[in-house]
Amino acid sequence: MITLSHYLVLGAILFSLSVAGVFLNRKNAIVLLMCVELMLLAVNMNFIAFSHYSGDPAGQVFVFFILTVAAAEAAIGLAILVLLFRNRRTINVQDLDEMKG
Amino acid sequence: MTESLMTFWNELPVLIQILVKIVALLLPLMGTVAYYTLAERKIIGYMQVRLGPNRVGPRGALQPIADALKLVFKEIIIPSNASRLLFLSAPVLAFAPALAAWAVVPFDDGMVLADINAGLLYILALTSLGVYGVIIAGWASNSKYALLGAMRSAAQIVSYEIAMGFALVGVLMASGSLNLGEIVNAQGGGFWNWFIVWLFPLFLVYVISGVAETNRSPFDVVEGESEIVAGFHVEYSGMAFAVFFLAEYANMILISALTALLFLGGWLSPLQGILPDAAFSLPVIGWLLDSGIHWLLIKTAFFMFAFLWYRATFPRYRYDQIMRLGWKVLIPVTIVWIFVEGVLVALKIGPWSA
Amino acid sequence: MSFQLAMFYIFSAILVGAAAAMITVRNPVHAALCLVLAFFTSAALWIMMEAEFLGIVLVLVYVGAVMVLFLFVVMMLDVNIARLREGFIRFLPVGALVAAAMAVVMIMVVGARHFRIEPPAPAATDVGNTEMLGRLIYTEYVYPFELAAVILLVAIVAAITLTLRRRPGTRHIDPAEQVKVKREDRIRIVKMEAEKK
Repeated sequence: MITLSHYLVLGAILFSLSVAGVFLNRKNAIVLLMCVELMLLAVNMNFIAFSHYSGDPAGQVFVFFILTVAAAEAAIGLAILVLLFRNRRTINVQDLDEMKG
Repeated sequence: MTESLMTFWNELPVLIQILVKIVALLLPLMGTVAYYTLAERKIIGYMQVRLGPNRVGPRGALQPIADALKLVFKEIIIPSNASRLLFLSAPVLAFAPALAAWAVVPFDDGMVLADINAGLLYILALTSLGVYGVIIAGWASNSKYALLGAMRSAAQIVSYEIAMGFALVGVLMASGSLNLGEIVNAQGGGFWNWFIVWLFPLFLVYVISGVAETNRSPFDVVEGESEIVAGFHVEYSGMAFAVFFLAEYANMILISALTALLFLGGWLSPLQGILPDAAFSLPVIGWLLDSGIHWLLIKTAFFMFAFLWYRATFPRYRYDQIMRLGWKVLIPVTIVWIFVEGVLVALKIGPWSA
Repeated sequence: MSFQLAMFYIFSAILVGAAAAMITVRNPVHAALCLVLAFFTSAALWIMMEAEFLGIVLVLVYVGAVMVLFLFVVMMLDVNIARLREGFIRFLPVGALVAAAMAVVMIMVVGARHFRIEPPAPAATDVGNTEMLGRLIYTEYVYPFELAAVILLVAIVAAITLTLRRRPGTRHIDPAEQVKVKREDRIRIVKMEAEKK
């Protein structure tokens, strides 16, 4: 029988993996964005699991809103990346050190 | 006899039953795809006052089989520096969604492989997956023409999916259901209840974006022989190329069937509500006149013909014109018409009076 | 082991494998494709939890649109992968340690006895998941729903204003003008006397 903790453990593993991804790919802005998406996916997994096991659909409504916000975030993030690449020819996070002060 | 067959069928394991159903669905589909290619060459041939294939078999009837044999025995060449795994999985990724979408398409009342509630959403989701085959093929080929084709296709399919989704929102507002069978049944009572009457602008948007989604002419900048040779599948040969080809035609048939189901009442007879009920109880003629799978096939065949007709008629759009049409024409049209439809539903005008 | 449990383990294994591959592969295109696989398998897991609307929406919106956008950008940008990979080995121990510590702590919490809840009986109502969500969103959560719509609108405007640029040098033709062209604008029919020999 699949219990709630099965899904929660899966969510925890996913979240830790995406945190590791942020550490490992700390120069590549695109992969960083993807790691954030994976984090949100892990969170959504928990929301849906709780919603299913407690029989309360409110959790699914939350997932709906998270999906919306994450899609908006991805669109703006990619737009900024494209702009960045157009102006600086790089997406390396370390090269973005113009702002001082 | 029939009873013993039925008991035999019911005693089979569920998995075997599903497999038999899938085969019963896919075999005719593959046959249709094969002969659709022949029909395309013949029809366009006649439209351009030439004969089309006429050497293999009587009037060229065996041409698809000859083509298939040739492609099967051709070598699949993998370009140097291509990403091997992705290169070979791209045709599968293009083909699988085109077939999987058929699972929820009903052919008659209750005659459907998987009668799920969210059928329309499922179809939208699967048709949006087809783009991966194209993108991955273009990227994995390690060729600039293929990559250009893939980029064009990604932008085009994502743009037209919005218009297509909005057109479907209109349909599900009118029917109040996401289940394709219920959508068809909501159009019952006579051809004036078909959604094409009240949702005509959405019907046009759906047909146009359907052509764009399948990368068919006049929206075929993805393949554009004269510009980027053959687009995303330049580097493909043999069976790998054939699978792309099959996917494209399976998608065209799918879009045609969906147009018939969503806007033209699917299997419903256009004579419903015109002829007296007595006419439908006549022996053979009554069955022909009444609603049934043959009406769906006729309507689908018409749209399949229309796909070929566009190809023979229209010149190819330029890339910026495609984007303009999608974003500045089709999407505003759908938004306006969904608004109009909302007002009609709220005021209970037209078919929503009940 | 029941069929459902077997499916759960298969999907979770694919999901965790895809996530692990995503953070370690060299090529950003491969990373994006791994993320696509991760989204797809989680959609399957969500559908197993009777959240079929969200599962399908995840495939439709994320796999079908957002990840296509990601792939588009990754393929368009001609980035120097080698430079971006600098420090990968150096941060590997730290990253692995932090991630493992986080995972252990979280699993100790959520793997505890209190969370070993059995799944509820399948809902017997004929109201589908989609309809149920729709009823909730348009009644109780209508205000947050409108806010989400506004956020999307802001995102559209922001993304377009960020990337829009006017290039004066391009030979751009307005399609409306092209369509308006009449035959008289393009050709002139000249009547000529036939010349005598």
